[in-house]
Amino acid sequence: MNRPNVVAVGTIVWLGSEVMFFAGLFAIYFTLRGTSPELWASETAILNVPFALTITIILVASSFTAQFGVFAAERLQPRRTGSLLQFTKWGMVEWFWATFVMGALFVIGQVFEYATLVSEYIGLTSHSYGSAFYITTGFHGLHVLGGLIAFLLIIGRAYAVTRFGHKEATSAIVVSYYWHFVDVVWIGLFLVIYVLK
Amino acid sequence: MKVNANIFWLLAVFFAVVAVAYSIWSYFVSLAQIEDYAQRVGPGGITEGHPEWVGTIALALCAVLAGFIAFYIGKVHKAQGGELPEDRLDANIDDGDPELGHFSPWSWWPIVLAGAGSLVMLGLAVGVWISFIGAALTFVAIVGWVYEYYRGNFSH
Repeated sequence: MNRPNVVAVGTIVWLGSEVMFFAGLFAIYFTLRGTSPELWASETAILNVPFALTITIILVASSFTAQFGVFAAERLQPRRTGSLLQFTKWGMVEWFWATFVMGALFVIGQVFEYATLVSEYIGLTSHSYGSAFYITTGFHGLHVLGGLIAFLLIIGRAYAVTRFGHKEATSAIVVSYYWHFVDVVWIGLFLVIYVLK
Repeated sequence: MKVNANIFWLLAVFFAVVAVAYSIWSYFVSLAQIEDYAQRVGPGGITEGHPEWVGTIALALCAVLAGFIAFYIGKVHKAQGGELPEDRLDANIDDGDPELGHFSPWSWWPIVLAGAGSLVMLGLAVGVWISFIGAALTFVAIVGWVYEYYRGNFSH
């Protein structure tokens, strides 16, 4: 019989609390949007939607590479068995590096987007749209950054051990849970901020 | 475990129903407020009705929160292949003593991390330079904690 993994269940309950953290952010956004519709109409027109869609696709793709890394971790295979280009033989480490690169591209894209918006006079303290935009996307960006650090720690563990076991696989799995969660939150934010406007 | 999952499903349905009721109710309240405003002050201001956003979103995501945990616990229950000893009336205490996981007997790292986090917060209150020291210590504490059983005597 398989006992429930306490680390995995605990991570899911904690992610539940993260749902409520982002509930607060969505509530901020919708409340401010309701009180100043004209501001929203003029400022959302400035957003670069194709660019945001591009970094969104990169982030969603990184969830898939993270999941392939989990499959490798569940096989207890930390490293690749073929050459670097034979990705069918990749281990957890290779898949997680790929995830890390794509997550980092997303953050770089966000920084570029922020810089562009600031040059177009949307700042954190400009008006309520600026505050709502930067607080929601900014806290999400910080979560992505935290996930990137977590991936580095997990990759480091795989390098540190001589025998990759269930404990290492568990930590890889729960980091992937977190990553999928942050990804789904971004899809919600993308739909609200860039599609619904 | 099955009961645990069902309790969370029940909560999810409850919050979903309450979220729908709340959004509709608050929508009509906003319409009444608009009408009241028009009668007392005259036309102008916000003309379209809207639900009260904070409560609507909080309640809807409470449903998501409960459903999310219910779904995961249901999955865990299916994967375990049978009932756990603690869910059976005929089980003995020693039926529930397999290895539960890795638990550190003691560690200094949580205290280091808590102290470093306190410095970050203290810096935000009195002078941001303290935060930078706190951030560096936070980094040391996290790496130290994560790799505590991966080096020295305990490396495996």
